[in-house]
Amino acid sequence: METLLAITSIMFFPAGLSLIFSGMLYEWADRKLVARFQNRVGPRWFQPLADTIKLLAKEEIQPLGVNQALFFGLPVVALSGALTAALYVPIFGIQPAYSFPGDLIVTLYLLSLLTMCMGLAGWNSASRFSIVGATRTLTQLFAYEAPFLLALLGPAMAADSWQIGKIVAYTESHWMIVLQPVGFVIALIGLMGKLELPPFDAPEAETEIVAGALTEYSGRGLALFHIGRSVEMVIGVSLVTAFYLGGLGNPLIFLAKSLGLLLVMAFLQSVLVRLRIDQTVGMWWRAGAILALLQILALIVLK
Amino acid sequence: MITTPNFINKVVTGITTWARVNSPWIIHFNSGSCNGCDIEILATLTPYYDIERFGIKLKGSPRHADILVCTGPVTRQARERLLRVYEQMPEPKFVVAVGSCGISGGTFAGCYNVVGHIDEVLPVDAYIPGCPPRPEAIIDGVVKLLNHLKEGTRPQPIRPEIGDHA
Repeated sequence: METLLAITSIMFFPAGLSLIFSGMLYEWADRKLVARFQNRVGPRWFQPLADTIKLLAKEEIQPLGVNQALFFGLPVVALSGALTAALYVPIFGIQPAYSFPGDLIVTLYLLSLLTMCMGLAGWNSASRFSIVGATRTLTQLFAYEAPFLLALLGPAMAADSWQIGKIVAYTESHWMIVLQPVGFVIALIGLMGKLELPPFDAPEAETEIVAGALTEYSGRGLALFHIGRSVEMVIGVSLVTAFYLGGLGNPLIFLAKSLGLLLVMAFLQSVLVRLRIDQTVGMWWRAGAILALLQILALIVLK
Repeated sequence: MITTPNFINKVVTGITTWARVNSPWIIHFNSGSCNGCDIEILATLTPYYDIERFGIKLKGSPRHADILVCTGPVTRQARERLLRVYEQMPEPKFVVAVGSCGISGGTFAGCYNVVGHIDEVLPVDAYIPGCPPRPEAIIDGVVKLLNHLKEGTRPQPIRPEIGDHA
């Protein structure tokens, strides 16, 4: 029974297939919202599914001069990292499948695994565009990761626990968006940096470096990275919603809240223009990290 | 029972064809055009025409693209690059020639620096005439190509005989 439960939770729910499909739905919602903000019709609801199936059915070209094991292994590791992180996160407002003290840190590192894999994949691809893209991906990782972590540590410190379940139980009665507004803004923008959404899409800037780190990937590898990205979007949005917008509560209300968060992200994507990579790093370390640190200092003093 | 593998094969083919028709990612290459067609292609990509409705997306990398949209006659300089971009694309791949020059060499036919029309270098699947074609014509051409894919055939265009221009 135990094993069956474990297999179900890994393969179907909350990780696995259901997460992949909800990732596609989130990606569609994001694209559709951006389209509506730009006053156009936007993609149809099955668009991410069609994209994924098409990519899976395409030829996969292995460029000359790459390490074969890394080239084919990295997309798998990236996706499995993102799917594993889902086991510790309350997705759709349902209690996480597994929980242990300190799982917040593990989750955040599992989420970074995708970015690290993307950087490595770009470095491994032996193409000048993908190497520039990989450098930018990793530079951006070092920019947003610390402020994002500090912003999620705020609720953790307030709840006196590093276990996602306990933090979420605490935030259910305390709306952190009111108590720690700075942390919420940093977490939201950090999430956009993590997902490489428009103001922070310098790592895959189409007009400059073709397609960034994934330039040489075609077919299956590209599809797996795409799915990993959408899964990360679901997990990130759920995490920020649970931490800052009043905990879990009713799954339907939780879904509405996370869609509201997605709406704000789509709005920011459509009104902001791409930052240069040095502007991104400067913004995070000059403003983001210092504000997050100040808030944590205030928390320590006021506690 | 003998028909089962065939049935599965049919279903898989159906699903992949459906996905392919609904998610054509394009890459745009100019092999010596006067930029007229390129401006029309860029206009097609703007929110006004909103081709994301059909799932069409402009991709920067040939490795991600399904359809190569090329404009202009092929110059001697661009020939190698055009072939290289085409060869970098993963199968299945399709080529759409946009504009009169892509179809016949147009006003550049017979120039000393021009190889000829795109058909002489690559197998073209769809031709979109016009000098330059309107964005609606470009969308129509791509949708016609997609309709052929739906039937599982590569389009067999009937192209007029073009006189010698070498």
